[in-house]
Amino acid sequence: MAPQNLSTFCLLLLYLIGAVIAGRDFYKILGVPRSASIKDIKKAYRKLALQLHPDRNPDDPQAQEKFQDLGAAYEVLSDSEKRKQYDTYGEEGLKDGHQSSHGDIFSHFFGDFGFMFGGTPRQQDRNIPRGSDIIVDLEVTLEEVYAGNFVEVVRNKPVARQAPGKRKCNCRQEMRTTQLGPGRFQMTQEVVCDECPNVKLVNEERTLEVEIEPGVRDGMEYPFIGEGEPHVDGEPGDLRFRIKVVKHPIFERRGDDLYTNVTISLVESLVGFEMAITHLDGHKVHISRDKITRPGAKLWKKGEGLPNFDNNNIKGSLIITFDVDFPKEQLTEEAREGIKQLLKQGSVQKVYNGLQGY
Amino acid sequence: MWSAGCRGATGPVLLGLLLALLVPGGGAAKTGAGLVTCGSVLKLLNTHHRVRLHSHDIKYGSGSGQQSVTGVEASDDANSYWRIRGGSEGGCPRGSPVRCGQAVRLTHVLTGKNLHTHHFPSPLSNNQEVSAFGEDGEGDDLDLWTVRCSGQHWEREAAVRFQHVGTSVFLSVTGEQYGSPIRGQREVHGMPSANTHNTWKAMEGIFIKPSVEPSAGHDEL
Repeated sequence: MAPQNLSTFCLLLLYLIGAVIAGRDFYKILGVPRSASIKDIKKAYRKLALQLHPDRNPDDPQAQEKFQDLGAAYEVLSDSEKRKQYDTYGEEGLKDGHQSSHGDIFSHFFGDFGFMFGGTPRQQDRNIPRGSDIIVDLEVTLEEVYAGNFVEVVRNKPVARQAPGKRKCNCRQEMRTTQLGPGRFQMTQEVVCDECPNVKLVNEERTLEVEIEPGVRDGMEYPFIGEGEPHVDGEPGDLRFRIKVVKHPIFERRGDDLYTNVTISLVESLVGFEMAITHLDGHKVHISRDKITRPGAKLWKKGEGLPNFDNNNIKGSLIITFDVDFPKEQLTEEAREGIKQLLKQGSVQKVYNGLQGY
Repeated sequence: MWSAGCRGATGPVLLGLLLALLVPGGGAAKTGAGLVTCGSVLKLLNTHHRVRLHSHDIKYGSGSGQQSVTGVEASDDANSYWRIRGGSEGGCPRGSPVRCGQAVRLTHVLTGKNLHTHHFPSPLSNNQEVSAFGEDGEGDDLDLWTVRCSGQHWEREAAVRFQHVGTSVFLSVTGEQYGSPIRGQREVHGMPSANTHNTWKAMEGIFIKPSVEPSAGHDEL
């Protein structure tokens, strides 16, 4: 027994030492647990990439290294094969090494030209012609608004690439003065072009990851810089995904609150009931009533609405409105008498203007 | 009797088993990359005439007077982007691959009008006029086109045809060119028969990858 324990202890110690020496802890770099889902990993990368980008940390000498570590961590943990190898053998055990460049991974989430921090430097270069922007409506379900999601998209776009030879560019009309003789001049109009390196448009493809952040609102846009249409003499435009939340059969969204309706039977409305509503992520919201529930009664469930976009920890409320299903078949004489006896309710025949709040 | 029927059935059953064994191998390669899905935005190239389906805020001077649809040679014009949507609201959720034989709408991204055709003559060739119609993606029943392709789903690499649901014509180009103000652009019209003039291929675009159905919760089995 003792020698066994000792040997396992030694092995564990060796493994830990090995792990420390052998390589980086990718899970720690991303700030996710070992059981994190691919969605959690993408979300963590996207959030940290914005914070750790070297352009954003010009005073940090280790910024480049931290950013590269982040890219490496994402590259391994987002690939199921590589992640399995890493989980078993550590960073040393990874075959092939790292293939994608860190800039590549970054552009999956943010587009070709990297990210503009603090304002839009693009507006300063008004003289550089720009290709068109493309706005793509992205349909999103309430389930995705609740829990968040990533949508993978393949962008196939024409890219201006260098080609052999020259081409005419910046063509314009100019007035030329030619001398016909002493003191005699002629002015003519001429088309004058510059010579530019030849470009041709080549179709290239890349995968983009669009994040649907929890609590996202209708109309919000996710831009990918430089992924729009190209401009032969300038910069490409941007690609923007515009969120369009689709209707849900059970829940209605109003801000961060969710509204739903429940039909209960006449008996349930009078004697009480217990039920559970399945929420957008599958968890159950329990409702227990032992009092009489009137038609139109509303029940507020705090914290069961949608997460707030700016602070996911704050959630709206779920408002449940009850309506009552009356029996369809007419009651027998006996049943009518029985009910009169049970309810002991006299005749109430109040006539009033219901539309004006009387 | 039972044994006789069994013997007759073994042939097709064996064939079926064989196919079932083969298909996952090939199917795995096909599922995922390469399919056109609803919600995707793309440019369509007429394979014979090498022009892209295009529209713009210019109306026909004759026929219906609606917004014109043409074919352009340029590959970098944002006005050549069309969005693939199902036939009705919610009919084709984001990321579902378009099946061969499915009816779709093609919405012009920059003007919000749907690819549309009707019984009006086209201006240059006297075929059926194809226009862009509607507001903000909502038009009418004449916006539906059936995707005709071989196989199960519309693959990005494949040349497909678009057959109008209401009038049965095929979206075609035969080469007639407009003059000013859209000099060089080709006429796009509807023709009754399937031929080399009406095959189209998905080119540039933003293709949403086929999604696995997201489940809100897991049902107890």
